[in-house]
Amino acid sequence: MRPSSQHSGVPVPREDGMSNAAKRVTMHDAYEDLLRRTLSKISGDLGRLIYLASTRDYNTGTYHHEGLCVCYRGEDARMALRTAHRDVFCRLAVSSLEELVEQLEMYVQMSQEAPEEFHQAWEELEPYRIAIPMQVNSTMVQLFLSNVRLALKVLRLRQSQNPAGPSAASQLPSPVR
Amino acid sequence: MIGVSLFLAVAVLLFLLLFFVGRGAESTGELISRPDDQIRHGYQDTLYSPELARRIFSPEDRKFISSTGSPQLLRIYGEERRGVALHWVRQTSNEIRTVMREHALTARQSENLEVTGEAKLFFQYIELRSICGLLAIFVRLLSPHVLCDLAAYASKLSYQIGRAQQDLANAAQLATFRSPGAP
Repeated sequence: MRPSSQHSGVPVPREDGMSNAAKRVTMHDAYEDLLRRTLSKISGDLGRLIYLASTRDYNTGTYHHEGLCVCYRGEDARMALRTAHRDVFCRLAVSSLEELVEQLEMYVQMSQEAPEEFHQAWEELEPYRIAIPMQVNSTMVQLFLSNVRLALKVLRLRQSQNPAGPSAASQLPSPVR
Repeated sequence: MIGVSLFLAVAVLLFLLLFFVGRGAESTGELISRPDDQIRHGYQDTLYSPELARRIFSPEDRKFISSTGSPQLLRIYGEERRGVALHWVRQTSNEIRTVMREHALTARQSENLEVTGEAKLFFQYIELRSICGLLAIFVRLLSPHVLCDLAAYASKLSYQIGRAQQDLANAAQLATFRSPGAP
């Protein structure tokens, strides 16, 4: 039996009657499911990285995804999330600076925040540090952090050169404003 | 006489390079203090990821930053990338030392060692440590992208050494299984 519910963060009640055979799917299946149903709906690897990091408990470092846990064994779901998190991070870390700038620009647009405020918050608070998976190569981490800092500076420069540029122009109105 | 002096000069230079890189790794205090399993995990990532070395030393990012036309950004980029490149050099040097220590332990227990293979591995190790020493010096003096080929070669060497150690460990494990006294 394949999972039928969407895994976009909506809590789904656990079916206690589900047989072990129904949950007998491997971590690989859970991973594929995560990619197909959830991650493919998020545009850009940076958005996916932030999303995957948000499924991790800050205190314990363990991952949890309500939708995946319903359809797969807890350990398989956690492994799938951890693997996806590492994969997305490694892909971003070795991507070119130009690609990372595009990713960041896309993420700023997706966040629907004012670019100026976004850049300032990201430069001062460095929230992207929380998005780094555990036990990854330390050089890769250094490269990623350095590239994000540079990408922010590139975006700031573009913003100052063209205040009504793509980031500002294509920004959708925020529902809270 | 000149030959002996030259040999001694090269030996002293080599020693200084190895010492320099070793000190660099220790001064960061980061890799050495990590638990063994993390080091193991880390070196698998670094040694088997030539893509990482290519990205750090690639001229592509520099071209992109140059295209912004901001000298200040270019300067910041230079500083940032130099820091990452030095980190890579120290990590590679440190991890390859760990690999060779493990290799020495495995080799001591191995019954059918190939002398030529071991000698080749040892020279590759010395070569890699020397290249790391050179990289550590030149990264400080030049822009990392100038050293792209040398870093790629170092990455290839570290992969070969890591692979050789893995092969020896696998062979030793297989020999243990096949030996009549094995459980």
